[in-house]
Formats: sequence, structure tokens, C-alpha cells
Amino acid sequence: MAATTTTTRITTSRGSDRYDVSTHAPAALLPQRIGARLWFPMLAMALMAFPVAIGLAAGRSAAIDDGGSATTIAALGHYVPAAMFLGFASVFGAVAFSIAWILGVFRVGGGSLQVAARRRVQTLRMPRTGKAFIGLMAVAMMTLLGAVLAHVAIGAATSTGSLALADAEAWAIRLEGIRRVGVSVYLLSIGLGLATIFTAVRFQTARLDGLVAEAPSDGSIA
Amino acid sequence: MVRNASVATPEGRAASSTRNKGLALGVLGLVAVSITLVSSFIAASFVGDGSRDQDLVTLAAWGFGIAVTGFALAKLGIAAVLSSVLVAVKDRAAAAARAVPALMRHPGVRVPLPEVTGTTPFGRANATVASPPSLLIHRVAAVMWKPALAMGAMAIVAGLSLSLFQADAEGSTAVTLSAWTQGTLFLGEGLLLSGISFLLGTILGVLRAGGGRVQEDAGVTVTTLALPTTAKLFLGFMMAGLMIEVGQFIAYAIVATSAAPESVAGTFALLGPIREAGLGLLLAGIVLALATIAKVLGFQFWRLEQIVTGSH
Repeated sequence: MAATTTTTRITTSRGSDRYDVSTHAPAALLPQRIGARLWFPMLAMALMAFPVAIGLAAGRSAAIDDGGSATTIAALGHYVPAAMFLGFASVFGAVAFSIAWILGVFRVGGGSLQVAARRRVQTLRMPRTGKAFIGLMAVAMMTLLGAVLAHVAIGAATSTGSLALADAEAWAIRLEGIRRVGVSVYLLSIGLGLATIFTAVRFQTARLDGLVAEAPSDGSIA
Repeated sequence: MVRNASVATPEGRAASSTRNKGLALGVLGLVAVSITLVSSFIAASFVGDGSRDQDLVTLAAWGFGIAVTGFALAKLGIAAVLSSVLVAVKDRAAAAARAVPALMRHPGVRVPLPEVTGTTPFGRANATVASPPSLLIHRVAAVMWKPALAMGAMAIVAGLSLSLFQADAEGSTAVTLSAWTQGTLFLGEGLLLSGISFLLGTILGVLRAGGGRVQEDAGVTVTTLALPTTAKLFLGFMMAGLMIEVGQFIAYAIVATSAAPESVAGTFALLGPIREAGLGLLLAGIVLALATIAKVLGFQFWRLEQIVTGSH
């Protein structure tokens, strides 16, 4: 049964943070639940992708040193970054999911502590940095996975001879630029996620000070 | 109306300002990298045009230097945001130490935690009368995060300068400068990620010390989560990643000083992915550090609930 909640504002010295008031501890939000479940599978996927990339790179390096087929070298030149950046997309995803998990722990734990203290539960609403964190993380992941798929497709086209070597090289250069933007957007989203943690910690500090001055709740949120 | 105490203090205001500067650095990094996206599309149009080969080399060198510098700016931004989180976590621990004794339903009643393994939902915990001493790794992390970030930033500046020299160079000089540029820039990236790892280790140390202090001030048995497996793996991945970055720098230095320019293509084809995998391992360590923080926070909330309600 969902409890009634109302929204009020908490005043700070640098603006205002919106928060909900309720009589019960809130559950973790969907992105936070997903983060708690997916951080480890994403990390595991990254740790599998990196050795694959190194193996492919070793093969390409040997082909270059031994004067191997130019087609094979060019195709591997696309497969290596495909494997490597599948790993980076996964490990950056794992970082972002871990941050979401931490935010979920703050939300649920903060609420439970206020219930245990028999006070009204104040829960910070998702700040703008939190929304931007989720949005940019999705953009970054799609950018990197798109580049990975493009590398695989171009590598396959190169190895079958349906794409000229010069075109394969030109695409390698373009995709490198796209991958870099994907990584940079991921880094910005991680910064925004950590900034959201800062806001949550700061909110909880203010709430802890407020709890002592506040009378125990009579069960209403007024 | 509740005044936000942690922001109202000078340290709190400084932390907020640091956080905003960190986010600005992240945006600046994205702008720098976006510029290199344009340059890469221009460079791609030169492929196959023999008269533009030198332009292609110039754009590649320049773009590489700017892009890695853009990543470095974003990582410095992350470090700045994390340093503000560190201040906020210290303030939160102080606020909890003030609040918890007043919120306890049965003040002065010691709330023991059985010293048996696996009795908490978060793993093994140790029970002591006083706050446990800080661990060596937490002390090392607290000392090392600033030097690691500073050395990383210096390496990035040196690598960016080398890449600009490389952009104007030709022949064997260009190959030599390329090796130094790649090695130096990725050593810098590795040091920056190590600095971020040390910062996360410092936050874990503050959580441990703060949790102990809160319980000690409340007059209850001090229970501290034993070092989780994720924390041990974090250390392993961080060390492995940093060693790979130092190793790739040495390998590039050897190539730059002793290899014949015409024979380096195969070596470069292998060293590039190795240096990237080193950063991947450092990032994997950061994931595990964040997971440890989530686990420790979960344990602390659980323990605080026990203390406030007086439940065993």
C-alpha cells in the first residue's frame, strides 16, 4: 500500500533542494535497483573483453612483423578496438551502476534510519545532476556500443574484400573520434553521478542535525 | 525549514565550489575531445591522397594529444568532485556523532554485535570497545591522492607538449616523439586514475573512522565491517593497472631510444591495446572501490538502526 506523501522544500544557502515527506522509508528507484544488480555483470564483461582485445592485438602485431596480408591487418585493426571498447563501455557502465547503487543505499538507508528514530521521513528528490547523470550515461553507452558495432561491420567488410583498404583506414580514423567523444561523455556523466552523491550526503547531514530538534512523529506527515 | 549545516560552514561552501569546478572541468574535457572529433573527420578525408600524407600525420599527432588531455581534464574534474564528497562525508560523520546519542531509545545501553562470522547481512564484522585504528591502506591513500593527481597532471602537460612537437616532425624524429608522447600521456592517465582510486580509499577510511566514532560516542559496542573481498580485489586491480602503465612507459622509452623507425609498427600495434587495458584494470578497481563504499554504507545504516532502536 502506497503511503501518502507531500512535497515541501528545504532551504539551503545556495538554492533549494526538493524533498518528499512521508511516514515510511522509500524504496530504491528503478535505476538504483538496476545499478545494484548490474554492476557486477558489467564488470565481468569488461574483464572478459580486455584479454580478447590483447589477444587480437598480439595477432595483428605478429602479422605486421611477419609481413602478413594487408587485408587481415586492416580487418584486425577494426576488431581490436571493437573488443577493447566493448570492455570500456562495460567498465564505465559498471562505474555508473555502482554510483546508482550507492545513491540507492543513501535513499533507503536514510529513510529507514528516520523511521527507526520515529521521525517523519524526508527523502531528497532526484536532483538535476542525477537526471543528467542517467541521460548522459545512456548516450555514452549507445555511442560506444554503436562504434563497436560499426568496427565489427567494417572489419567484416574489409576481410571479405567488399570494402577497400583506404576506406577501412578512413573509417578507423572517424570511429576513433566518435569513441573518444563516447568516453568523454561517460566521464562527464560519472562526474555528475558523484556530484549527486555529494548532494545526497549534504542533505543527510542537514537532516541528521534536524532530527534531534524535531519531536517524534505522531504518524502524520503534517 | 531546515538550514543545511554542511553547506553553511566555510568548508561546506568550499566543497560546493570545488564540486562545481569539477563539473566545469568535465565539460571542458568534452569540448576538447569534440574538437578532435572534427579533426578526425577532416583527417579521414585525407586518406588515399598522397599529397596530404604529412597533414594526416600532423592531425593524428595533434588530435591524440588534445583528446588525451581532454580525458585528463575530465578525470581531474571527477577527482575534484570526489574531494568535495570527502569533505561532505566527514561532515556527515560529525553530524551522526552529534545526533545518534540523542535519538537512542535506550541511551547508554550497549548494543553488542555477536562476534561470529557472517552474522550481518553485509558480511563479517569485528566488535571492539573503542574505534579500530585506521588501516595502512587508508593512511597511504590519504597521503598519496594529491601527489598522484599532481604527477598525473604534470605527465599530461609533458605529453601534450611532445604531441605538439611531434605534429611538426618528420621521419625518424616523428616516430621517436610518437613513442614518447604515447608513453607519457598514458602514464599520466594511469596516475590520474590512481589518484582517483586513492581518493576513494580515503573516503573508505573516513567512513571506517566516522562509523567507529559515532558508536563510541553513543557508548555502544563498536562494530566495524571486516575488509570485504571487493576491497581486496580493488587493491589488486589498482596495483596491476598502475604497473602496466609504468611498464608501457618503459616499453615506449625503449622503442624511442633503441628501435629502428621502420620496425616499430608491430610494437606500436601491441603496446596501444596494452596501455588501454591497463587503464581498464584501473577502472575495474574503481568499480570495486565504489561497490565497497555501497556495502559499507549499507552496513552503517543497518548498524545505526540497531543503535537507535536498541535492537540486538
